Amino acid sequence: MSCSDRAGARTAPEKSKVLWFFLSRKNILLFSLLVCGTTHAADRAGFLETIHKHRMVTSTVTPNGDVNPYAIVVAPASAGMIEKDDVLVDNFNNISNLQGTGTTIIGYRPSTKATYVFARLPQHLAQCPGGVGLTTSMAMLKTGWVIVGSTPSTDGTTATKGDGCLIVIDPQGHPVTAWSGAHIIDPWGNMAVSDAGGQATLFVSMAGEGIPSPDVTDPQTHLPVIVRKASVLRIDLRIPDGKPPEIASETVVGDGFSQRADRDNFLLGPTGEALAPDGTLYVTDGLDNLVVAIPDALTRTTSAGTGRVVTKDGLLAWPLALDWTPEGHLLACNGKDGRVVEIDPKSGQQIYAQWIDNDQAQSPPGNGDLFGIAMMPDRKGFYYVEDDMNTLMEARP
Amino acid sequence: MIGWRRRGIALVALAACLPSGRAHAAPPPLAAPINLTGTSATAVGGRTNFLSNLNRSNYMLGDLFGVRTFLARYGISLAVQETSEVLGNVSGGIHKGADYDGLTQMILQLNTDRAFGWHGGLFNASALQIHGRNLSADNLGTIQTASGIEADRATRLWELWYDQKFLDEDAADIKIGQQSVDQEFITSANAALFVNTMFGWPAVPSYDMPGGGPAYPLSAPGIRLRWRFTEALTVLTGVFSGNPAPNRDGDPQALNASGTSFPLDTGTLVMTEIQDAYPGLGAMEYPGAGAPLGHVYKLGFWYDSDGVDDQRFGNDGLPLADPASNGITRHHRGNFGVYGVFDQMLWRQSSDPNRTMSVFGRALFAPQADRNFLRASLNLGVTYREPIKGRADDTVGLAVGYARVSSSVSNADRDARDFGQVPGDGLQWPIRRNETFIETTYQYQMRPWWQIQPDFQYVFNPGGGIANPNDQSRKVKDEAVIGVRTNVLF
Repeated sequence: MSCSDRAGARTAPEKSKVLWFFLSRKNILLFSLLVCGTTHAADRAGFLETIHKHRMVTSTVTPNGDVNPYAIVVAPASAGMIEKDDVLVDNFNNISNLQGTGTTIIGYRPSTKATYVFARLPQHLAQCPGGVGLTTSMAMLKTGWVIVGSTPSTDGTTATKGDGCLIVIDPQGHPVTAWSGAHIIDPWGNMAVSDAGGQATLFVSMAGEGIPSPDVTDPQTHLPVIVRKASVLRIDLRIPDGKPPEIASETVVGDGFSQRADRDNFLLGPTGEALAPDGTLYVTDGLDNLVVAIPDALTRTTSAGTGRVVTKDGLLAWPLALDWTPEGHLLACNGKDGRVVEIDPKSGQQIYAQWIDNDQAQSPPGNGDLFGIAMMPDRKGFYYVEDDMNTLMEARP
Repeated sequence: MIGWRRRGIALVALAACLPSGRAHAAPPPLAAPINLTGTSATAVGGRTNFLSNLNRSNYMLGDLFGVRTFLARYGISLAVQETSEVLGNVSGGIHKGADYDGLTQMILQLNTDRAFGWHGGLFNASALQIHGRNLSADNLGTIQTASGIEADRATRLWELWYDQKFLDEDAADIKIGQQSVDQEFITSANAALFVNTMFGWPAVPSYDMPGGGPAYPLSAPGIRLRWRFTEALTVLTGVFSGNPAPNRDGDPQALNASGTSFPLDTGTLVMTEIQDAYPGLGAMEYPGAGAPLGHVYKLGFWYDSDGVDDQRFGNDGLPLADPASNGITRHHRGNFGVYGVFDQMLWRQSSDPNRTMSVFGRALFAPQADRNFLRASLNLGVTYREPIKGRADDTVGLAVGYARVSSSVSNADRDARDFGQVPGDGLQWPIRRNETFIETTYQYQMRPWWQIQPDFQYVFNPGGGIANPNDQSRKVKDEAVIGVRTNVLF
């Protein structure tokens, strides 16, 4: 997810700004911490072996009954209703558990253990084709603006799916702008963010274009047809002082990913993005059960297609959201069981996996429960959601 | 700062810059200011909105005309489910025929986190409305009754309890109040697919615990502790009222007809179960480990201090069937049983992890033959999820159930025959020993709120071998039972 707290937060392919950013004192400090952390961790294989405690933090059900938490964002700054390190979680379903109809974002404040409703959006926005159904795509900028994706439906299936939009919400929880267009079609995956304050770059996967009803099946597989039209979009933003972010440019950096409708999961497609310090974007492709790399994602002007395969199968079971460990490894939440998998992106090695949801009410255990993931500010643990229980969880040493 | 945005008209405005991607030329993105005036926070469609959501809603009636949304503000959730079925024996039995029976459950829960920010608390209240007839009593005469919802017609309180989590990681929770122990003890996740009663609350406690134990449709006051003390091991233990009915003088469901007797002076039931689950929370797995195949193993025992009648003898030491007996049943205090349960996934399709095959088994033993109707019972079965490609929520299963009548009961039958307490010359009078059945069923998930489940059962030696009341020279013949059940979540 957010790369800005690590080392490589670059906003645009402008060499002077990149150089300035790397030389800024704050980021030198962060980079040093990262290096130190890596050295300290050299005597262990990875991060997950340090995690031993799993605790429910709060219920994510809102007063209007919305359920099915997807995205998790840890606030990078204080603004409006939000304090730095608050945890924002959105809901994809309404009280009837209809997918693509959730309209709410809750906030959890670790300092007081209080939970609040940050935003409750209208079910229908004229500016958002098809309505509002909040997805795993969510980010908060340092300037306090929250950007959340909508992949809406009216009947809980892709048969009534709209093209959706990205909604900009002010720090008081009010929606102010909706972005849509030819490249913004059903924003779905967790956002990778590079944020330098006045400029920022978002990476978000789009996973809905051309998907028909789940009743349209492939005669060979008897499963909903696979449409290889999912893409990954880079959105370069400028954020004028005191004003909402504006789109400076859009670039499709990856396309041709597999996607299809699904009755239980609404749709399946690329769901995780994580940006490395060297500008490589890592993307989960759940249907093909792999993680791919898109090189030079911050600067490239053309699509890398489906990228380079980093790792496939093994411990992965339809990987979803991604985030970084302090060691520079990737954590990928499995969609088809309750494991999170740690991957060394350089070698492509799957190091190990840990069961963070072992609910045997599903088969296999935890099947369909995990979605979003976000490292805690101290980077010693991470937050995740259990969307069957509608809870925000934390995993710590 | 925000005002001008809110006043902004809902016209589409072009963003300042065109997209820079060369490979994917497209119209510029649209950035439209959002005007909330006139928008609604709720779905349109009003009270009939649920009709358009029948395909994917979890509930047939959606938000129940606004009731669920209203309750959600206070952290309360409401579930109402109707289970209806028609089962009939096409061969064997006391006589052939079919019965309809049904159950309406209403469960109200208050989550204290959501209601007032108190971590880990849950209030639960549930009620049952039981309707229709009872095929097993009317036609079958079986020990292992054909349907888990068959019961006396009634409208009754079922459970009323408060559960509080505590310890780090919420590793423990304590539940206080009126409870139905079949919801947590001796359970098998895979067995729950099946229709026959004995795949829910098993045969041994159903017959050997006073009043059948605090299990559907009954419950009893008690306190229960669950503690996950290692990654994989959990202990479940509880102390409950020893009898869900206020006394032992008749049908316990009739004696506690509304579920509000709250008996506290009927002895004590103690239940303890050790559970081993894989995967445990936090368990690590390494490359090459293969597909994770979960399991749950359970070992447990129960002890009930309530009084229990002897199955054969009077308090004068003579068989009750002996004409010289004073007819007063010998009385015992205390009874116990032990059991083991396993659920084991055998296989998971790598290309579609929804497709799995699992086996389960439960063995229960009550060694004190003098006071128990059953000495042992056994369930074994196999379930297969997603038997038809793309139907991930369907399950098909095949299972067998076995109940062994205690030696005292068999001997009491002999006594009745030897002492001439049976019709005719008694030579044909059956001695009850055991009953076995097989069941196969397919649970079809029609909609998220609607299941349809055709079912077939075949019972060998019904009742353990009992005389047919319509022709007491013959035993009740083996029975073929067919039927269909449906569950609707409103």
